[in-house]
Amino acid sequence: MMADNNIDLEKIRGVRKDRFRILVCIDGAEDSYLGLNYAADVGRQPDSDIILFYVRPVDQGMRTGGLQVRVARENMMNWGLELPGIQYLKKGRDRLMEDYDLAADWAEETTHTDVQGDPLGDNKTEYRHSSGKSIVLKLKVAPSVVAGILDQYELGPYDLIVIGGSGRWGGKGISLWDPAVAEKVAVHAPCSVLVTRELEGGKGHLLCTDGSERAMEMIRKTAALVKRTGAGHLSVLSVALSADGEAEARNHVDKAAELVRSLDIEPREVITRVGNPVEEIITAGSEYSLIVTGDTGITGIKRFFMGSVAFKVMEYAKNSVMVVR
Amino acid sequence: MTTTSQNAEDLEIVSAPGLTDQLGNLLYDFVVHYLWDKRWFIIALAIGGAVASLPLPEGLSREGMIVLGMSVAATVMFITEPIPLPGVALLIILGQIFILGHDSSAVAKTLWNDSVLFIMGSLMLAVAVVKQKLDRRIAWLIVRITGTKTTRVCLGISIVSGLMASFIGEHTVAAMMLPVGMTLIMLTSDDPKKVRGLAAVILLSVAYGASVAAIATPSGGARNAIMIGYWREFFFDPTNPETLKFLMGYLRWLIFAYPLFLVQLPFVTLILFMTFKPEYKDLSRAVVRLRKQVEEQGSMKRADWVAIALFVMTLLGWIFLSDAVGMGTIALLGATAFLIAGLVHWEDINSGVNWGVVLLYGAAISLGIEMKESGAAQWVAENFLELLVPFGIEKGIGLWAAISVLTTAIANTMSAGASVAVLGPIMLKVAIAAEESPILIGFVTAVSTGFGYLTVFAAPACTIVYASGYLKVTDFLRAGWKMAITSIIIMLLAAALYWPILGL
Repeated sequence: MMADNNIDLEKIRGVRKDRFRILVCIDGAEDSYLGLNYAADVGRQPDSDIILFYVRPVDQGMRTGGLQVRVARENMMNWGLELPGIQYLKKGRDRLMEDYDLAADWAEETTHTDVQGDPLGDNKTEYRHSSGKSIVLKLKVAPSVVAGILDQYELGPYDLIVIGGSGRWGGKGISLWDPAVAEKVAVHAPCSVLVTRELEGGKGHLLCTDGSERAMEMIRKTAALVKRTGAGHLSVLSVALSADGEAEARNHVDKAAELVRSLDIEPREVITRVGNPVEEIITAGSEYSLIVTGDTGITGIKRFFMGSVAFKVMEYAKNSVMVVR
Repeated sequence: MTTTSQNAEDLEIVSAPGLTDQLGNLLYDFVVHYLWDKRWFIIALAIGGAVASLPLPEGLSREGMIVLGMSVAATVMFITEPIPLPGVALLIILGQIFILGHDSSAVAKTLWNDSVLFIMGSLMLAVAVVKQKLDRRIAWLIVRITGTKTTRVCLGISIVSGLMASFIGEHTVAAMMLPVGMTLIMLTSDDPKKVRGLAAVILLSVAYGASVAAIATPSGGARNAIMIGYWREFFFDPTNPETLKFLMGYLRWLIFAYPLFLVQLPFVTLILFMTFKPEYKDLSRAVVRLRKQVEEQGSMKRADWVAIALFVMTLLGWIFLSDAVGMGTIALLGATAFLIAGLVHWEDINSGVNWGVVLLYGAAISLGIEMKESGAAQWVAENFLELLVPFGIEKGIGLWAAISVLTTAIANTMSAGASVAVLGPIMLKVAIAAEESPILIGFVTAVSTGFGYLTVFAAPACTIVYASGYLKVTDFLRAGWKMAITSIIIMLLAAALYWPILGL
């Protein structure tokens, strides 16, 4: 039984390797739909799939005086009522299909997986367009939102995870994607993660480089991403710690700009700044749709004691941040 | 972003992950994920340990100090839930055996009593009742009586929810009435944004209607059964006929508390309509479609009548027989009857009841009794009273108000049952120290824990209704504080004017 599953998973992964897959976490908040707009833009090519994703934490019956919430949910289903989450996903789907103007040609397929201890289990509806593109709605039940998102990555690798970073009330179980959730996903996901905060399209990407190989790789990937969008554009930034390093920072951005040009994109602006990298990036970045940083790759003890510029930017920036891996 | 020299180091680390880095990752994972996630567990244990090892104050034994520490730690865990709550129950049991050195069989005996049986039996009955699918008929009954005006429908919903909840528990009613409310909302408009106000008044009518009713009879909520258990354990002495009044029967509770619920009921609709502005003044469109759905279901079947008959018999059993055989026994009898009649599958009961709650309340009551026997409850009660003396509220209505406000505050942060389990022993001892009637103070405590209107998780009905996805957390706050103040005032009036007539 297990072996079969593994073979299936391998096969699916093989097929999916050539597709550009975007996981968009929808929690019903406006931020998540703004993130969806961005995903729609990046995923407009036929080789892209967009997965709209909602996680419902497993119900804990202790709060309800001993009667499990599932009794109420089962009763709701008997009435033919939709559960929360499904509405959010459908709203996202309608927005997407409107956006693509491909309304007619979608073949629909629904699958269901039982989950222990939940009346609904996981539900998935796939809409496949004749061009090969597919839009998937997935409602997953998981012990926690973070676990649900990371498990979902294991099921089928993704190229980009988009998650709303809006800080609704941070109480446990009350806001689905409180900042901590978005942050945890950004730290642990093996792929690029975009945390959206009032994401406003059209203002371009700000790519931050420190001149390292890793940063250059990030720039290459982001350029590929920007090329996928209709009218996206990008700028590069490097921050020097002190005035002495400014020439070096200049050198870094020039190298980055050259790399971008070699990929047929003309960078809008090429910027150098002097000062604290985190502060400078956040200030400069506020002018753009989103800030793009590389995962600095600091591991182990160093990460524990120093933290990383990328995650500090993610934590303190007022606008959207993408960590590229 | 960083200087080149650091970059070089980073690259080295990436290319050759050494032992230190692996250890570092482990340390990072341990500190950031494990310790941080479990911080409240560690804090709770630390506070409990600190309390238990403080120098002994006058009038308290070391054992009392330890029990107090356990209570404080358990309360912190009830509120913050760093581990699953049944785990806290297990910790309480283990603590009694390992820390207090009690015999395990003796501890086991304190876990079960009639109150716990009653909680368990009521939960099984609750699932059985929800499974009868009488909700559509009830909905139709409501709108047939009230007509289609939004205010009248909401009043009807809260009255019916309340009347049912007073006998079968607020969670049961919330589970049954939630689809009714949602159907009315969805049949009015598909767009949740257009019916925000309407959704709030309808769904909160269910939740608050059921919540105010949960105090009305012992079967309204677990907290009532817990208080009844405490009265018996604390004050009843079989050799002393004077103490017979501490054996609280179903009917006597009903006489004390039912009028309180009836007085509160109209305020539910009033407060909701003062707080939220429903977009639709009339629900005729939704009502017509609801009627169609009910007609599809056909007329009442034999099984429906049997279910109703069984429930009424259980109710009569509680009222007339429970003094003789115990309320828990009647609850079990009712649940068993539903099983024998084939009206509910054991699988449904098994998956619908959270058995951890039974364990939790058993352990919490056991700890409460320990509080009394070790003298800890007495000591806390005396100190609590001393704190109140400067304000001049150490007796009479001032004391009742203080207890009520404190209990309401705590009940809004954790489950009502756990609040009564933790606060009950202390408050009953406060009653003795202040020379008040333990029955009156017990009622003030138990009834006040029913005022959990403010947060999503305080009252079971609120939690279930919140699961609909239509409500915001702030909706509960907006209407809840008005409800809480109204309820406290009504209860204080009852304590001053009504309860004394009944003899305490």
